[in-house]
Amino acid sequence: MLVEVGNKTPKKASSTTAAGAVGRPSSEQDRSRFQNVVLPHLADAYELAYWLTGNRADAEDVVQEACLHAFRGIGGFAGINARAWLLTIVRRTAYAWLKENRSAALVMVDDLVAVEEKQAKQCTASGEVGTPEAALIAKADALRLESAIVALPLPFRETLVLRDIQELDYREIAEVTKVPVGTVMSRLARARHRLSASLAVDAP
Amino acid sequence: MTVSATPDDANLLVHAYVDGELDPAHALEVERQMARDTVLAAERARVETLQRLIRERLPRERAPQGLTRRIEAAIGVPQAARGASRPPWRALAASVAFAAFLASGSTWFALRPGPTVTVADMVVANHLRALMAPQPTDVASSDQHTVKPWFVGRIPESPRVVDLSPQGFPLVGGRIDVIGRVPVPTLVYRRRQHLISLSSVPSSASAILEAVPRAIAGYNIVSWTDGGLTYWAVSDVAPSDLDSFAKDFRTVGP
Repeated sequence: MLVEVGNKTPKKASSTTAAGAVGRPSSEQDRSRFQNVVLPHLADAYELAYWLTGNRADAEDVVQEACLHAFRGIGGFAGINARAWLLTIVRRTAYAWLKENRSAALVMVDDLVAVEEKQAKQCTASGEVGTPEAALIAKADALRLESAIVALPLPFRETLVLRDIQELDYREIAEVTKVPVGTVMSRLARARHRLSASLAVDAP
Repeated sequence: MTVSATPDDANLLVHAYVDGELDPAHALEVERQMARDTVLAAERARVETLQRLIRERLPRERAPQGLTRRIEAAIGVPQAARGASRPPWRALAASVAFAAFLASGSTWFALRPGPTVTVADMVVANHLRALMAPQPTDVASSDQHTVKPWFVGRIPESPRVVDLSPQGFPLVGGRIDVIGRVPVPTLVYRRRQHLISLSSVPSSASAILEAVPRAIAGYNIVSWTDGGLTYWAVSDVAPSDLDSFAKDFRTVGP
């Protein structure tokens, strides 16, 4: 699995997001099912794409492309959880987009976890990074909050966004991000820990 | 005080506790641990503060205007088939049929004749229909004293409307839904950008005891009976949030 750790000038998103009709002829039934299943969750889809890509134009391209995938795959939707199903497709599309447009800025998750642990040992040894009190975090304003979330590494950021902004439960997050619930839990704890630490450090 | 970057199990369980992911037995155990251990108690305070910050201060990223239209155009929905030219009853009927289809679990099952449409199916269909309509309410107001009188004269009995904004569920408005053939009042509350539809059905009208599913088509459902009325809350918020909504609605006085 790939993780973004920095930015590079993105190329234009792929041309499949253009607003022309899809080539494959499909039935009225598919369209009506798409309108019932996908459209009610479009706001969530766009929001997730925004947090994954980091900007509005790319988010819109990703959502449009994801919706085309969803439309082609609508026959395979099992009818259990439309929102989680759509978010899974959005996430997959966003990752493909990141890989294509920001490939130089991607590293493996396993590497990231190793780096995390090494840093944690160093910090614990030197006692540099304390755990802030809630009162210190509570002073953060919207701008600092947003930039602190954007600065989180992708696996932590997506887990935090899905839970604390989009309010999915652990099982749904596990389904969308394709990891076990235990991994969701540890990523969420790390994400929140990093976020509190960076909000406290930046505090005026 | 330091926390390692590989949080231990007790720490993870505090997060799960705050997220409403624990069953009552485990929740009780974590509460006991937090009472004993100040590090865990501080972790709880941090997580709750962070969640409150995100909820209250972080602006939501809204989908751009016209995105729905562009996507519909991309999949070839004839533009004439959208909006006003489609009779509302047709969309409603489609939603009911669709919810029933989803509830049946598989295409094979749906092909069998006449799956029963339950009250739960109908409240989910009403909620879906409201989400797709230009407005999810017939009367839009965050003021309970505007919403409640609106129902007078439209349906036999005005519903109980309570202010739940202190609990994080501001009132959006109200509308009239139809369950079976009975017009019923539906209140719409909001949790962040997610809407919650709360319908109240006279208990006699939904007398058939049915097992209430926890979710249909990704929408969570909570139902309870109070004062001769059966309440149905439907939303895509997390089940724990919908439970606290139901609890708050029951406990808060008008």
